[in-house]
Amino acid sequence: MDDEDMSCTSGDDYAGYGDEDYYNEADVDAADDVAVTPTHSEEADYECLSVNQVERVFIDGVNSLVSRISINEKFARILLQANHWDVDKIARLVRNDRNDFLRKCHIDAKPEPKRKLSSTQSVLAKGYCSVCAMDGYTELPHLTCGHCFCEHCWKSHVESRLSEGVASRIECMESECEVYAPSEFVLSIIKNSPVIKLKYERFLLRDMVNSHPHLKFCVGNECPVIIRSTEVKPKRVTCMQCHTSFCVKCGADYHAPTSCETIKQWMTKCADDSETANYISAHTKDCPQCHSCIEKAGGCNHIQCTRCRHHFCWMCFGDWKSHGSEYYECSRYKENPSVAAEANHVKARRALEKYLHYFERFENHSKSLKMEEELRDKIRKKIDDKVNEHNGTWIDWQYLHKSVSLLTKCRYTLQYTYPFAYFLSATPRKNLFEYQQAQLEKEVEELAWAVERADGTARGALEAHMHRAEHKRQTLLHDFFF
Amino acid sequence: MSNIAFNRLQRECKEVVTNSEISETGIMIEILNENLTEIKGHIRGPPDTPYAGGMFDLDIKIPDQYPFSPPNVKFSTKIWHPNVSSQTGVICLDILKDQWAASLTLRTVLLSIQALMCTPEPKDPQDAVVAKQYMEKPAVFKATAEYWTTKFAKGAVKNAGYQALVDKLKDMGVREEEAVSVLSCNNWDINRSTVYIFS
Repeated sequence: MDDEDMSCTSGDDYAGYGDEDYYNEADVDAADDVAVTPTHSEEADYECLSVNQVERVFIDGVNSLVSRISINEKFARILLQANHWDVDKIARLVRNDRNDFLRKCHIDAKPEPKRKLSSTQSVLAKGYCSVCAMDGYTELPHLTCGHCFCEHCWKSHVESRLSEGVASRIECMESECEVYAPSEFVLSIIKNSPVIKLKYERFLLRDMVNSHPHLKFCVGNECPVIIRSTEVKPKRVTCMQCHTSFCVKCGADYHAPTSCETIKQWMTKCADDSETANYISAHTKDCPQCHSCIEKAGGCNHIQCTRCRHHFCWMCFGDWKSHGSEYYECSRYKENPSVAAEANHVKARRALEKYLHYFERFENHSKSLKMEEELRDKIRKKIDDKVNEHNGTWIDWQYLHKSVSLLTKCRYTLQYTYPFAYFLSATPRKNLFEYQQAQLEKEVEELAWAVERADGTARGALEAHMHRAEHKRQTLLHDFFF
Repeated sequence: MSNIAFNRLQRECKEVVTNSEISETGIMIEILNENLTEIKGHIRGPPDTPYAGGMFDLDIKIPDQYPFSPPNVKFSTKIWHPNVSSQTGVICLDILKDQWAASLTLRTVLLSIQALMCTPEPKDPQDAVVAKQYMEKPAVFKATAEYWTTKFAKGAVKNAGYQALVDKLKDMGVREEEAVSVLSCNNWDINRSTVYIFS
C-alpha cells in the first residue's frame, strides 16, 4: 500500500465513513442540520500512520536528539525509548551528569570498548565462551561493555528473551552487567533467521510505539495502523483502514463524558467478580455458631447449619430452642436491635442496589443501540421504497437517515453517563449532572419515539426533536467533559 | 535439552567436583540422572551462623532453556531462614529470578545461596513469619535456626528446652515435624501452639 494513502487527518472527507458505523461520525454531520455549533470537537486531532511512516517518526526523533547532544544513533534510540522521546529532558540530564544518566539508561558509551574477560574466563584459553563453556571461537561478538560470548549463545539468548516478550531490553549475558543490546547488534546476530527477525522487529516496534507518548496502535483486530495524536483529552479517533473507533488515550471504546480511569474502574467492576462478593453479602448470612456462610434456599426461617448442626432463627440469629414459644418476638420492631450484624448486610445490599441501578441503565442503552442498528436498516429500506415510488428524491429523505445517526450518537453518550454518575460523589455537581442526564434521557426517548414512527410527514417536528436532543448532549459534554 | 546446556553442565559439574570445593567453600553437587536435568546440591552451613555444622541439601532442576533461563533450586533439607520457605524450601534470591544471567553457573548459584545463609534479607522475605521473628526476636530466631539445623541438617548444637516442648506436643499425638514448625512459628509458646493445633 502506498504510504501516502494512509495519511489522512480527521477533517478530510470524513463523513463518507460515518454511514458505516454510527458512532464514528464527526460532529460536523449533526452540526450541519441542527443549529448547535459545538464549541469543542469530540474528535481528537490525529493522523493514521503506516509502519514505514512511524519509522520516519522515530528517525526524526533520533535526528533531533543527535543534533542536540553528541551520541551514537544506536544509543539515541535506547535513550529516547527510556525517556518517552522527550528530547529536552534527555539533553538536560546528559548535561547534568552524562555518565550516570547513560548508565541508568543501560548504555555503556565508553569511547573505545575494551575486551573484558568474563568472570570465569580469565584462566581459560582464548576464544572461550563462558556461556556454552566451549573454546576455539574465532569470533566473539560483544556489546560496548566488552563481555564476549559466541554468536550461537547470543542467538539463543535473544530467542529466549523474545519468548518472554522482551525485545528492546535484551541485556548483556554477563551477570550484573545491565547494558542493553542495541537493535543493530541484535539484528546482526539473528540476520540468518528470518522467523526470529520478524518476531524481533514486531516486538521492537511494539516497545517503541508504547514508549512514545503520541503514538498508539489501532485497537482494531490485526490492524497495522498506528495513530499519532498529541491530544490530551480522552477524545475519539477512528482508524482510516479498519474504521474502528476508540478513545485516543486509553484505547477503550469512546466513553465521553466519563474519564479513562473511571471507565476502567467501571469495566473492571462489571467484569470481575467483585459483585459476587456483594451478592454473598446481601443474600447470605453467617451461622452464629460456626460462622459458615449460609444461603437461604427455602421459605422456612428455622435454619439448621449443615456444618455444625446448630439450629437458629434466620431473622434474629437466636437459638431456635429458646425461640419456640416466643417466635413472634422476631416480627416486632425493637428500637435497639441486638442484631448488630444486620447492619453490614443492609450496607452491602444498598451497595449492590446502587450498582445494579446504574448497570441496568448502562446495559439497557447498550441493547437499545443494537436494536436501533436494525432501525437504521429499516429506514434505509423505507427511503429506497419512497424513491422507487417517485415520492421525492433520495436527497429529500436523507434527514430520516440523519435522525437515526443522531439518535444513536445521543444514546451512546447517554449510555456512558451512567458509569460517570456511579463514581460521582454526592455533591451539588452530581445534582447538576443528574439533572442534565435526566434531560438528555427524556429527549433521547422522545427522539427515539419520533424516529421509529417517522413516516415522512412531520419533518419539522422530527428535526425539532433532533435539535433538542443534540443540544442537551452538547450541554452535558460541555459542562462535564471538555 | 540443547547441546549448549548439556556441554555446559558437564563442565560445570567437573568444575565443582574437581575443585574439591567441599573442603574449601563447603559446596558440592551430585548428579542424579544421566541427562543432567536433575542435580543434587549440598551446602555446608557457614561458620558463625546458626547453620554452622549442618549439611543442607538442595534440589536443582535444569530447565530446557538453560543457561538462558535460571535453574530451579530449592532446599530439600528443612531450614529456618527469612528468605526460604520453612514449609516448602523455596528460595527467594534475585539471581534465581530476574537477575539471572547466562554467564552464571551452578557454582555461583550455590555460593550465592551460601552467602544468603550468612546475611539474610528480612526486608524481602520468602517466609514472613520467620522474617518477623528475625527482626523482632533475634535471640529466639538464632536458637530456632540452630535447633532446626540440629534436627534436620545433622548439626551439633543441642537445645534441651526446645526438645522438651516438642516432646510434649509429640505426647499429645502431634507429628514431630508439625510440632517443630508450629512451636517455631509461635516463638516456642506451648499454650499458643496447642491452641493453634487443636482448634
